[in-house]
Amino acid sequence: MPLSLHPDLGSQLINLCSMLLLLTTFAIVAQRRLSACVDLFALQSLFLAVTAAVVAWFTDSPHIYIAALLTIAIKTVTIPMILKKVIERVNVKREIEFVINIPPSLLICGALVILAFSVTEPIAKLGFLLTRDSLAIALAIVLIGFFMMIARKKAVTQIVGFLMMENGLFLGATASAYGMPLIVELGVFFDVLVAALIIGVYTHRLQDTFDSVDTTKLTGLKE
Amino acid sequence: MNAALLILIAAPLAACLLSLVVRTRPAMERLQLGHAVVLWAAMAAVVAGVVMGGHGGSHGEGGVSFGPLLHTDPLSAFMDLMLAFVGGTALVYASGYMGEELSRGHLNFPRYRRFFIYFDLFLFAMMLAVNLDNIALMWIAVEASTISAALSVGFDRTKAALEAGWKYIVLNFVGIALALFGTVLVYYTSEHVLGVSMEALSWVSLHRVAGELNPVVLKMAFVFVMIGYGTKAGVAPMHTWLPDAHAEAPTPISAMLSGLMLNLGLYAVLRLKSIVDPAVGPAFAGSIMLSLGLLSMAIAAAFMLIQRDYKRLLAYSSIEHMGIAFIGLGVGGPLGLFGGFFHMINHALAKSAAFYAAGMVLLRHGHKMIDRVTGLARQTPAIGGGLLLAAIALAGLPPFGLFVSEVLIATAAYRHHHGIAYLFLALLALAFATLIAPLTRMALGKPVEAQLAVAHGSDRLMTSALGINLAAMSVIGLLMPAFFLDLFMPMTALFEAKAGLP
Repeated sequence: MPLSLHPDLGSQLINLCSMLLLLTTFAIVAQRRLSACVDLFALQSLFLAVTAAVVAWFTDSPHIYIAALLTIAIKTVTIPMILKKVIERVNVKREIEFVINIPPSLLICGALVILAFSVTEPIAKLGFLLTRDSLAIALAIVLIGFFMMIARKKAVTQIVGFLMMENGLFLGATASAYGMPLIVELGVFFDVLVAALIIGVYTHRLQDTFDSVDTTKLTGLKE
Repeated sequence: MNAALLILIAAPLAACLLSLVVRTRPAMERLQLGHAVVLWAAMAAVVAGVVMGGHGGSHGEGGVSFGPLLHTDPLSAFMDLMLAFVGGTALVYASGYMGEELSRGHLNFPRYRRFFIYFDLFLFAMMLAVNLDNIALMWIAVEASTISAALSVGFDRTKAALEAGWKYIVLNFVGIALALFGTVLVYYTSEHVLGVSMEALSWVSLHRVAGELNPVVLKMAFVFVMIGYGTKAGVAPMHTWLPDAHAEAPTPISAMLSGLMLNLGLYAVLRLKSIVDPAVGPAFAGSIMLSLGLLSMAIAAAFMLIQRDYKRLLAYSSIEHMGIAFIGLGVGGPLGLFGGFFHMINHALAKSAAFYAAGMVLLRHGHKMIDRVTGLARQTPAIGGGLLLAAIALAGLPPFGLFVSEVLIATAAYRHHHGIAYLFLALLALAFATLIAPLTRMALGKPVEAQLAVAHGSDRLMTSALGINLAAMSVIGLLMPAFFLDLFMPMTALFEAKAGLP
């Protein structure tokens, strides 16, 4: 019974979920320990699945439930498991190393959120009433994921950055456009899973060859 | 015709699966050569089908379709022509090149086999991407091609190859994620016009209703797609993965990256431009493409000056040529569009030929230093001559096609803005000098003794691939077959050829 609840409640719920997603994003940026970073990513993916389920409920679009289930299966369970294995395998005991330290990182991420809101402001009114602010939050998460790939040294944290970008994209697609057609979602999930696997394989090889997953040590190739 | 489209796409996948069970080198060579022949035949049938039936001009009419998702319009047929032709010669070349590596003991058989599995997957993903009539499924196929190429770039397990592979992965995966955001934005506006359905993602439908889509959303979408697929196309300032990946990947992959994958990125940008233009006018997308094109030329020409590694030199030359194609297609109008398309295919042929020759030099000398290779033409006339011809073509000298396309693009740029045309010509001259000087030095002069011998069988395969590419390049440059015009005219119609940049 999709419309038995007040639609305002729906939009409030979705806003709440999106804000939780954004909050975990900041928590990941502020995290010093690698495995905690992966746990937080799993949590973020869980919030994403909940957001998707809420959208599915209020818009009566059953295919989004499937996407939500896939999100839990792949991003909350499988990928964090792979990442944990990678961390164990490459024996990263040390904390995350930073190109940009935590306090300035958080400031920059705050600025990125403001940027995302101001960029999407002129087009937000086109969206469905239910999920008006989600597009801005989605863009903010994409930008913060991007920033994370630049500002962290270890290969594993760069993977987390990439996966955060994907989460932001998924939020954008689900919340602002009520999900892409199912075949598209399936393809995107498959690609993301394979991409994460490949990056994992590469991380292993980096460890084997360079004895480190610190990507700032990759300096052999330059002009 | 329609079955041919299916064969064209299924052939690389079938070859990939068959590779899994191949046990000997001769069997692998037979398989991959057969694969190349099937590709060429199917491509000829598809292109012929589109040219004969596709005179409708607009996006929806004509063309070849299979099922609800595959649709080949003239622009797709053009990409098919390029992908199948160069992909086919790359298969012939790879059979020789990787076979040589195998017989030298640089690879064991499982890794040799894995190379072809990755290679066929890469080709399959690209072939699928250009024939899908769906913006989001195209994204999935492009991502699949990015992933399969990631496996090939780091194929040699050296430190340098791993570093290049990692750089490639980080930049391209970020790029592709941004392109997905652009894709979501297109859907965000198109679902209001076409409803929440697969139709809202179809290129044909999008093009039909492009005028009704929200211009602000489309502008944002284009910026994201331009950054995203532009990374794949190797345009500055997102080009930094390109020289490393081209230099460190196995040479058949370098040829595929330069000849085909960069063009796939450009294709994706062009598709989006074709729906953005009707909504916001050609000036928006056109001027972004024009500025990035000029920046790419400038950066490439500067870095070519200081290159000491011949594969890196060719890689930077690819950045320059992609820049030229972006300028032509960005300026638009009949001349610019025609020049841009003609540039794409000629560059694909010439650059892959140059990489074929470079790979044969690498196999003989075992290093990539420009200074330490001279006199190729006297020592190994096929390689030296091939390299020289490719260098002449890439430098934009007549009689080859790149000369024609560069003149067309310069003319189009001059009509648009005199200053841009002068800048374009100056950069072209700089790139000309920095490319032709080192390559002629390699081809001419006193021969340096090669360190290593290449087996006759491998050599024959590689030389044939080089020969086929150079022959095709000469034919289209000198004769300009009539079917090119039949193919190009409907392609330019996609972009409202009359309305170039003001």
